[in-house]
Amino acid sequence: MKRVVVDPVTRIEGHLRIELIVDEKTGKVKDAVSAGTMWRGIELILRGRDPRDAWAFAQRICGVCTSIHAYASVRCVEDALGIRIPKNANYIRNIMYGTLQAHDHTVHFYHLHALDWVSPVEALKADPVATAALQNKLLEKYGGIAELMPDPLGHRAYPRKFPKATPGYFRAFQEKIKKLVESGQLGIFAAHWWDHPDYKLLPPEVHLMAVAHYLNMLDVQRELFIPQVVFGGKNPHPHYIVGGMMCSISMDDMNAPINAEKLAVVEDAIYTQAEAVNLFYLVDLLAIGHIYVQKGWTYGGGLAKKRVLGYGEFPDEPYDDIKGGDYHNKILYHSNGVVEDFALGVDKAKYYPMVGKDFTDPEVIQEFVAHSWYKYPDESKGLHPWEGITEPNYTGPKEGTKTHWKYLDEQGKYSWLKSPRWRGKPCEVGPLARYIITYTAVKQGHIKPSWMDELIVNQIDTVSKVLGVPPHVWLPTTVGRTAARGLEAQVGVAANLYFFKKLIDNIKAGDTAVANMEKWEPEKWPKEAKGVGITEAPRGALGHWVIIKDGKIENYQCVVPTTWNGSPRDPMGGQGAFEECMKDTVVKVPEKPVEVLKGIHSFDPCLACSTHLYDTEGNEIVEVKVQGGIPAC
Amino acid sequence: METFWDTFKRHGVSRRDFLKFATTITGMMGLAPTMIPEVVRAMETKPRVPVIWIHGLECTCCSESFIRSATPLASDVVLSMISLEYDDTLSAAAGEPLEEHRKKIMKEYWGNYILAVEGNPPLGEDGMYCIVAGKPFLEHLKESAEGAKAIIAWGSCASWGCVQAAKPNPTTAVPVDKVITNKPIIKVPGCPPIAEVMTGVVMYLVLFDRIPPLDSQGRPKMFYGNRIHDTCYRRAFFNAGQFVERFDDENAKKGWCLYKVGCRGPTTYNQCGSIRWYNGLSYPIQAGHGCIGCAEKDFWDNGPFYQRLTSIPVPKQEADADKVGAAVAAAAVGGAIIHGVASKIRNSGKKE
Repeated sequence: MKRVVVDPVTRIEGHLRIELIVDEKTGKVKDAVSAGTMWRGIELILRGRDPRDAWAFAQRICGVCTSIHAYASVRCVEDALGIRIPKNANYIRNIMYGTLQAHDHTVHFYHLHALDWVSPVEALKADPVATAALQNKLLEKYGGIAELMPDPLGHRAYPRKFPKATPGYFRAFQEKIKKLVESGQLGIFAAHWWDHPDYKLLPPEVHLMAVAHYLNMLDVQRELFIPQVVFGGKNPHPHYIVGGMMCSISMDDMNAPINAEKLAVVEDAIYTQAEAVNLFYLVDLLAIGHIYVQKGWTYGGGLAKKRVLGYGEFPDEPYDDIKGGDYHNKILYHSNGVVEDFALGVDKAKYYPMVGKDFTDPEVIQEFVAHSWYKYPDESKGLHPWEGITEPNYTGPKEGTKTHWKYLDEQGKYSWLKSPRWRGKPCEVGPLARYIITYTAVKQGHIKPSWMDELIVNQIDTVSKVLGVPPHVWLPTTVGRTAARGLEAQVGVAANLYFFKKLIDNIKAGDTAVANMEKWEPEKWPKEAKGVGITEAPRGALGHWVIIKDGKIENYQCVVPTTWNGSPRDPMGGQGAFEECMKDTVVKVPEKPVEVLKGIHSFDPCLACSTHLYDTEGNEIVEVKVQGGIPAC
Repeated sequence: METFWDTFKRHGVSRRDFLKFATTITGMMGLAPTMIPEVVRAMETKPRVPVIWIHGLECTCCSESFIRSATPLASDVVLSMISLEYDDTLSAAAGEPLEEHRKKIMKEYWGNYILAVEGNPPLGEDGMYCIVAGKPFLEHLKESAEGAKAIIAWGSCASWGCVQAAKPNPTTAVPVDKVITNKPIIKVPGCPPIAEVMTGVVMYLVLFDRIPPLDSQGRPKMFYGNRIHDTCYRRAFFNAGQFVERFDDENAKKGWCLYKVGCRGPTTYNQCGSIRWYNGLSYPIQAGHGCIGCAEKDFWDNGPFYQRLTSIPVPKQEADADKVGAAVAAAAVGGAIIHGVASKIRNSGKKE
């Protein structure tokens, strides 16, 4: 057995270490250890502050899936205070959310994940003329996926930016790569395992196509986020307010945050998203994924085969609350539930819905710390987020010194992440989880499908037809996880078109309100209030829990996607999705575990999200041990 | 080594486009048009500068912001202007090969590479609240700084400490200049900084081979010389005493001044009012939210955000704009004192 360490894991957000125990004879990963290696303490910092400010602090948990924590935060404070937001605010928030899905997934695929599949070195061997011909062929073969997306606006006559399937286009990018290689300064492409045999799985033309799109998309991606900049003022970290949105609407004043000109800018950006996703992202994804699946590359399903969890999104109209269950009556994306054993086939899978009461029930969602650098009075038990305790308890590695590790101790504590569990069991979250849940819920007849659920089912059935394998075979794999993310980007764009139309129609009908300010002043709040704010971050199910007392935050907690997926072992022996996906993988060259990087990257890990401090519940802040005694600035 | 002009030529950029580009970035860097020939000369003679970009406690919003730069495009900066040799977010490589590469670049370009730091080091638990390659980030920071010719402290985390250093600062996170004291440090605050401010700073460093003039707090004066209030498109309403009283009221629809709902524009030094975000598309105030002061030191603890600043005099109807301007300036002393930082970055020339 060989122990292989990859640290730092790059092309993710934050700091992550993985250790693999590989059987050198078979190349099979026998066991895996994943550790979050940073910790910031944002919930602690939130205590005692004005709940109307919480979104800004919580938002700084992540600048990549930027806006989603702010979204969960305003929802959770509104849930606590009983605030119903206006229609326009609901539509605008949905557009900001759909925009996040379209942008974040696209950037993840090209800039954080693509180089696991394609190589600039291989791209140099391609013939640009043949690449252009291939691109046209692929558009013909897979381009039908674009037609699944409904366009209720119907304003765009023809694509403006994509696709660029000419030899000149590909030659220009190939030249760019060639010169970079010849300069000897490889920059971001330096020092990677480009000689790994997996890079030979694709023909050079596919490599050139994808690497050209990697470079092109680096310039285009900024335009995809424009709706967030118009409605939220900037990006990353756009602004929100409790009670709705601050971007007042007036069709009669050029100084108004939202007027006809700004709405035109948003509409244009949504169509750019549509082109980028439909004609670049999905076609590249299907072309690469198809070849990999045909060559038998179906590793990395791991926990997704056993259990997935989601919360649901896209409220069609404003709702009264989350904890009372009204939110789930209004949503269009029914990924709210848990599905077990999807790998046995959609008919045999078990489905459990997740609705309002499940988020306040102390038995449903709990966190464990048996293998995390925190202390509980009884570490065999989990605690609901509202009862959470955090007492940091760093114990060092198994081999090495406190500050210089060799190997981590999987028998003991080894991560700054806690272990969230659903009824004591680990679950995978993320686009793949959401797709499995929605698909199962529709196919087993548990829900009346919305247009969005139908789109998702159509996408899955279409891809299954292209690949020639049923969903339960291709979905719970690394390729399937990557594909679900791309397909969901299309759902995000479709949502934007849908809610943009609703916004325009509502303004046309004379309603311009964007904020409900009835309960803005703290004197109008109850003495004590509790709230739940849930959403689906690009990386998976996200929940914020708040307790407000005397107008201040008494307790604030977030259970985030990468904590679910990247969690260390629980006291019952359950492992998180990262560790399970690695165990499901065979590595060809143990010292160069590209296959494992593919698996880990397919989750789009966000370590800043997952490594934050939870409630201290009575522990004084000064008890956090600080060595060295250097005062804070 | 190859110059920018060589690189541009190789990429098939015409002389005309090259000159257009040089003109744009001259304006971007806040330089007078008379400086264009110097920018062109610099671009004709300077090689691609190696950059090591490391991440401490942070949320990666600075990197995300950086790749949104439109003039110049981030891809041009990364692929043609600098050589980004190490970056947690964008580097293809991972693990030991990447760490080895960092050491190789440091050795090869000792005294000649730029260190970009996003996020900050925590000092608590011997630095083990932020661990990279099995060692404290603090150690990486000190090691990487050793041979750097200059350090860019990206964002409010690296510059001031930002959110994780807000009270009670559970990890004892500190800004970069608390642990690196023997190198020139350029602070580029903002949560995140504006993309074009970030690329503007890189362009200045690369083209002129010297750090830009800094203010007393270490920020480039060209970008942090004005308060947001000074260039705010709603300033006229402030001067006229026309305010939004409550979010989404009638005055909010008219785009009046947000001072009374807590805007920190009068005390925040940044370019949001002029460069704005996304190539001039918008900025928070334009979208109807007051500035939260994210480029200012310890802004998290100056809240609550929706409480109006009491130290700024509010003009009565049709107040005298000059008087108001002077009063506001007096209330926010401290940012604009010129600092005598050496204009040339010294090449330390030390070798291990």
